[in-house]
Amino acid sequence: MKKDMMELCAWVIDQAKKAGAKDSRTRFTRTRLVEIGYRERKPETIKEATNQSLILQLFVDGRFSSQSTADLRKSALTDFVSAAVATTRLIAKDEYRSLPDPKYYEGRAAIDLKLADGEYQKWSPEQRHQLVKVLENACLEAGGQSVISVEASVRDSFSEQAAIASNDCEGYQETTDYVLVAQMTAKDEGDRRAAGYDYGVSRYMKSLPDAGAIGRSAAQRTLAMRGGKKLKTETLPVIIENRGVSRILGGLISAMSGPNVQQKRSFVMDKKGQKIASDLLTISDDPFMVGGFGSALYDNEGMATRKRTFVEAGVLKDFYIDWYYSRKLACEPTIGGPTNLIIPPGKRSVEEIMKDLGRGILVNDFIGGNSNSTTGDFSVGIGGFLFENGKVTQTVAEMNVADNHLKFWTKLSEVANDPWPYGSWLTPSLVFKDVVVSGV
Amino acid sequence: MMKKMTRRKFVEAGALAAGALGGTSLMPGAWLGLVANANGKGYFESQFGITEALCRKLLEQALAKGGDFADLYFEHTISNYLGLEDGQVNRASGDIDLGVGIRTVKGDQVGYAFTQDLTEKSMLAAASVAATIADSTATKCAPQFVSVKGGDYYPVRTLFTAVPVSTKLPVVQSVNDKCFAKSKLITKVNCTLHDQQKRIMVVSSDGHIGEDLQPRSFLYVGLVGEKNGRKETTGWNLGGRKEFSFYSEQIVDRLVSEVVQRLMVAFESVQAPAGEMPVVLGPGVTGILLHEAIGHGMEADFNRKKTSTYSTMIGKKVAEPFVTIIDDGTNPKQMGAINFDDEGIPSEKTVMVENGILKTYLHDRISANHYKLKPTGNGRRESYRYYPQPRMRNTYMLSGPATPEDVIKKAQKGIYVEDVSNGQVKIGEGDFAFYVSRGRMIEDGKLTAPIKDMNIMGNGPKMLLNVVMVANDMQMAEGGAGACGKGGQAVPVSFGLPTVLVNSMTVGGVKRQGAQS
Repeated sequence: MKKDMMELCAWVIDQAKKAGAKDSRTRFTRTRLVEIGYRERKPETIKEATNQSLILQLFVDGRFSSQSTADLRKSALTDFVSAAVATTRLIAKDEYRSLPDPKYYEGRAAIDLKLADGEYQKWSPEQRHQLVKVLENACLEAGGQSVISVEASVRDSFSEQAAIASNDCEGYQETTDYVLVAQMTAKDEGDRRAAGYDYGVSRYMKSLPDAGAIGRSAAQRTLAMRGGKKLKTETLPVIIENRGVSRILGGLISAMSGPNVQQKRSFVMDKKGQKIASDLLTISDDPFMVGGFGSALYDNEGMATRKRTFVEAGVLKDFYIDWYYSRKLACEPTIGGPTNLIIPPGKRSVEEIMKDLGRGILVNDFIGGNSNSTTGDFSVGIGGFLFENGKVTQTVAEMNVADNHLKFWTKLSEVANDPWPYGSWLTPSLVFKDVVVSGV
Repeated sequence: MMKKMTRRKFVEAGALAAGALGGTSLMPGAWLGLVANANGKGYFESQFGITEALCRKLLEQALAKGGDFADLYFEHTISNYLGLEDGQVNRASGDIDLGVGIRTVKGDQVGYAFTQDLTEKSMLAAASVAATIADSTATKCAPQFVSVKGGDYYPVRTLFTAVPVSTKLPVVQSVNDKCFAKSKLITKVNCTLHDQQKRIMVVSSDGHIGEDLQPRSFLYVGLVGEKNGRKETTGWNLGGRKEFSFYSEQIVDRLVSEVVQRLMVAFESVQAPAGEMPVVLGPGVTGILLHEAIGHGMEADFNRKKTSTYSTMIGKKVAEPFVTIIDDGTNPKQMGAINFDDEGIPSEKTVMVENGILKTYLHDRISANHYKLKPTGNGRRESYRYYPQPRMRNTYMLSGPATPEDVIKKAQKGIYVEDVSNGQVKIGEGDFAFYVSRGRMIEDGKLTAPIKDMNIMGNGPKMLLNVVMVANDMQMAEGGAGACGKGGQAVPVSFGLPTVLVNSMTVGGVKRQGAQS
């Protein structure tokens, strides 16, 4: 379908030009998705559809607007484009708006990122049902008598994206995703129930994680959450489980974004080149991971991607800056946001680290919370396990961690060896010393 | 140019057609297709040729393999945004969404498909997919469709598409100019005007048809300021299911005064405390407490699956007798108001807790059938891309007998919550949290230093029993940006609360009680 999609994009760009937009950029996405969910050993939901959307970004006489539509009939699109151009003419000029300088399109890496599964079309409905049955069954069996409810699902999608900019840039990309999720609710004390889940994601059918293992792990994670208690406020080491690191790290990354830096809503806006974290924190971006969930040869503006380091040994090296904010800040663009965010893993497992830490909390759950990108203050609810000398002694619930990012990241004392494999932020579990965990 | 445009073309161009008009005068409102038409045809029939006969054919296809019922959800939504940054309204965006979701229901099982191509062929294919949830013989579709008798809680006189960009733009610009005029400490102003008009048509195989036009809008302003080297930020919005005429100079002045005042207070804020303590919630948006602590847990899908902590509590005492908590789809122009829900069930006022006793879950058709009850009009969805689930509308607590001053005095030492930004709940555990963006310390029964940026946590059933005092000043939230997320779907909701004292919740500040720093 590449040809049809590229032709439609070219036609839209041409229509925009005829309507008076000298420069424009369009992106057309088409996604086929299937979802099958099971509960009580029968299908609870079966969903299937194709979603299409076209985005048109217009640069008209120094003015900018971004318009999208799901109504792709040619007659509707003609009106859409001309009205979009007319609207753009009515707003104020912005001298910083333009398509990127074409030199930034150049140097696209010659790598096959293998983001689409060539065997996607071969996957039958029966295979999907079979997989969910295995997932559900494993969770039910591992949950045993404690199970109140188990829901298991498989979701997959095949997505095509075509994009063209009027100053000689184009791209086409196919991607596939497979997601297995099992969630369980178990009996706990009184009216309280413990709920938990696990999931696995892959770009290819053949490398999907074992459904039985995910089902069992969902049950084990749920059962482990039973008996959660709030403890007395205490200062102690905290390990944040790999999959949850983004909940805290997001507050730092957000403050490193072009709009927040330029709009003075960033606690690191004047800290480039300075130490903002412990030596152990390095944050890099690798857009070229084969099969990676954030991999891309070019960004949303068509600019060629490359590997970059944003924080190196605790020193802030760069911000996430797209073309527009690079012009406003009078600096070089990097990229508007992370592709595959990498924190280089350490050498030891969480279990080994726990043995050495004495008394601490392993955080595997968050609730509520937010982060102020201007001041760096954050506060978030946590749950997990109190451990002593490597052994879990109590499940923890309804406690809170509050700090300021500029202090918190200096407390990073070890990085574990377990980068999270099922997302575009490949964060290992992180250990922080002297964290105040508030409770009773 | 507009004169040559047929009505159909105008609607298709949708989001942007009005912009093309610039400052010129507009067509009379009736021409712009407000639902009632002289020829008796509904919006989706006149614009997209969706006749009742076609609907029947699609429903029959969806029931070709049996099932209890099937329904169609047509949607045409036009959204627009104008944004100001660095002193100028220099960005705009718009979105046109169009499609139909087709659902087949058998017991608690759902087959679902959607298409954005409203041709008979494409819609029949989607109906065939939905049908696969069942595996017996065909179920019949009702021979005739009766109109849903919904409310009229957000009448629309002028569509947003009938308001030219050149009329909206000065409103956004004026917010910027008025903010800067008020304080030299302001370094940045961001202001946005969002508007949306969503037209829906729900048709069910048991013979109901309903069309609705749901407006939604808000005017947001965010400030960054600096005072003696201290940088702070704040933001606020006003909106709801409002028309453009809501955004008068008076409203702009109120928004500006309030947000500038909030920034000035933020400069004076002190570190928030940590630990368990009494919490007083001021009136209004703090009703998020109810949304998280009880509302989600009362959504009947979680209860029929027995995954909610509330699933065994109907008829039991959950709070003091002065506590009554309602989920209501009928509050005029509130974000969660709906004339009928996304399954075609008329909206209503549903009492969840009456004088301290747990009364009713929030039902969609599937859960109502499970419990053999009437649905409560809580079946909602984000768009045609999703099947409906039980969802809240406007959730609030009725006023009690005390005065706000009494409530603060009774707390003696603790914190007072003025504004919240987000929240979350764990359904099984009942543990919830919400994030306080603005509050005050309470010392010796009086409001003192401002505080901000703290998470507050509690357990739903325990917190309800801990509501020890309720004041007589119930207010609804006034914003238009609030959305609730569940199962990957966002729907507009609102909240309300009188001033309330909760004896104890966990406050997640940084200052340990009794500590010096």
